[in-house]
Amino acid sequence: MSELVQSIVLGLLLGGVYALAAAGLTLIFGVMRIINIAHGAFLVVGSFISYTLWNTFGIDPFLGVLITTPVVFALGWLTYKVAVDPIRNAPMASTVLLTFGLALVLEALMGYVWGNDSMSTRPSYADASYSVGGLFIPKAQLYGGVVAVVVLLALGALLTRTWLGRAIRAAAINPTGAELVGIKVGSVASLVFAIGIGVAGAGGAITGVLYPFVPGSHYQWIARLLAIVVLGGMGSLNGAVLAAVLFGLTETITATYISPSWATAVPYAVVFLVLLLRPQGLLGTRSREDTVMA
Amino acid sequence: MSTNPPLRRQAGFAVVGVLALALAACGGSGSSSKDGKDPIKIGTSLPLTGEFSQPGKAAEQGYKVWQAVVNDGGGLLGRKVELVIKDDASNQNTIVTDYNALISRDKVDLLVGSYSSLLNLPASAVAERNRKLYVEPAGGSPKMFNRGFKYLFYSQQGTADRQGIVFADWVASLPAAQRPKTAAYPTLDDPFAAPSVDAIRAILEKAGVKTVYKQTYAIDTKNLDTIASAVKAADPELLVHGASFDDGVSLVRSLLKSGFKPKWLYQTTAPSLGDQYAKAIGAANTEGILFAVSHDPAAKTPGNPAFVAKYKEMYGGNPPEDAADAYAAGEVLGAAVKGVGSIDDQAKLADWLRKSAVDTVLGNLSWNANGSPKGEFLIGQWQGGKVNIVLPKDVATAEIVQGWKPGGAS
Repeated sequence: MSELVQSIVLGLLLGGVYALAAAGLTLIFGVMRIINIAHGAFLVVGSFISYTLWNTFGIDPFLGVLITTPVVFALGWLTYKVAVDPIRNAPMASTVLLTFGLALVLEALMGYVWGNDSMSTRPSYADASYSVGGLFIPKAQLYGGVVAVVVLLALGALLTRTWLGRAIRAAAINPTGAELVGIKVGSVASLVFAIGIGVAGAGGAITGVLYPFVPGSHYQWIARLLAIVVLGGMGSLNGAVLAAVLFGLTETITATYISPSWATAVPYAVVFLVLLLRPQGLLGTRSREDTVMA
Repeated sequence: MSTNPPLRRQAGFAVVGVLALALAACGGSGSSSKDGKDPIKIGTSLPLTGEFSQPGKAAEQGYKVWQAVVNDGGGLLGRKVELVIKDDASNQNTIVTDYNALISRDKVDLLVGSYSSLLNLPASAVAERNRKLYVEPAGGSPKMFNRGFKYLFYSQQGTADRQGIVFADWVASLPAAQRPKTAAYPTLDDPFAAPSVDAIRAILEKAGVKTVYKQTYAIDTKNLDTIASAVKAADPELLVHGASFDDGVSLVRSLLKSGFKPKWLYQTTAPSLGDQYAKAIGAANTEGILFAVSHDPAAKTPGNPAFVAKYKEMYGGNPPEDAADAYAAGEVLGAAVKGVGSIDDQAKLADWLRKSAVDTVLGNLSWNANGSPKGEFLIGQWQGGKVNIVLPKDVATAEIVQGWKPGGAS
């Protein structure tokens, strides 16, 4: 029984981190219909910036989220203006190719700036745990989970309780209608892209404490994040959070009760099964395709 | 009215074709037609980006140090050595493209191998198909050598299934009271790590060490907390972990988080990455960790002091193991070229290696008919924040310290 509880605790903590990492990806898709293949690379950029702040200035990586997030946000905004905006309305295949190219460029830049050695952000509590009733609760995962929840709540509040959030949701639901009521959809898109990337930066600050990373680590992240976003329903923030937790739990429970060798495969099988039953994902909405534009 | 334009055009094409063939013959006939003053071009494709970028970069450094040392000494056969290095991005498809391009477009004279069994498997097949000698610095999976290849040679001491033999034999030889009673074997699903751990387990089970945990995990596993939790529940005295780098670091950190400390900890690959490993898990937590290693910077093997000095001059610090392995691959290739006295017949180079032994920074290497090496690895142990060689006893620089002591030796 304690084995099951331990697996659930570890799965929930893992899911929280996945949720933060995936939130920006689903936000960008929801508003802009862009599948950002470079999202994992921006996440790793966040890990490197957080590592530099910790290693050079001794700034705690979780407190450093307050610096990492705006820096990566600015990088996202710049990326949007330079590379994404010119092809924002191009077919989806073009944006996939563009963002894949961006991922490669970012990987090369990270290698140039920080080198290709594996790095780990290790504050004093990185490998410590709380012991509760025979269970261990890793401090870094717990703090990371708390930061993830705070950032996600802030993101949720931004989307639901501010005029900017309403503009973002309006642009996501009906861009033409949003333009008609005076929302500058182009400006909203650049902000959404930057916010999504900034959230990835926050996620990177956390994952950099939990796992070693190199510039090429983004390949492992993007596969997981895309699966989570698809499972949750593309464009649905709540769906991404739910899917991330489900993904984390499936990984840990599979590793405990089936085999670690299946731990990374079974979550994808779950995605497959869910999509068979709900092609729009857990909380996604099915768009009507029987309407004709006038 | 023109007399016969199609015929005239055909004649033009013929002239252009003959000229093209003549140019191709001049520029593409390989080194044998040259005056012997041009550099010898040696091609490789390394994982300079992607998941294996860390050892890939180290291998690149090793090759470049070898190039510098050889050229400082007058080159090979009186010709300078020129490396042509491509980046395969840790991708099996890209490396195939790269080696084909090295052979057909860059027209390199010789090849050396890449990093990891995963990448060398397809790359060596390209070399074999083109009848090119392929000396690989990494890629010790036994699967590499059961394909009947004639041009493939591995320039470390042994294949993966031999990597931990010295350690396992030593554990098995301990008096029963000191020998661990139980062992756990979490292993990365990797063509190098898995055979290494399987071979250790076979010896230890025969010696009566009970297996209490044996699981393989996928290469993209990021979180090893659950595995650490399961290992903790199994409570082994000895933990043998088949790892590459990131997962090697992650499992140690997960063990620390879980509060479980097996009496003995042996890992493949990860602990041999020196300072990076110590930084990643904390220097104090390295104390007592055992591992197999191919190179010791302090060893008195032929050419080793010169290699270490040149590496320090070019890159600073002690060379990582992967750099030394690449340097040794260059030494093996160079020995074959000098031994045969020519680079024109690659089959002769391969035959020469099969019959010869070569002194390298890793020690004296010799090969079986299938290109697998005949030697044994060294066993290292982290002691006081640095690595000492503890086995085999005739080359050991220190005695084995009993047990893993995370947090330091106290």
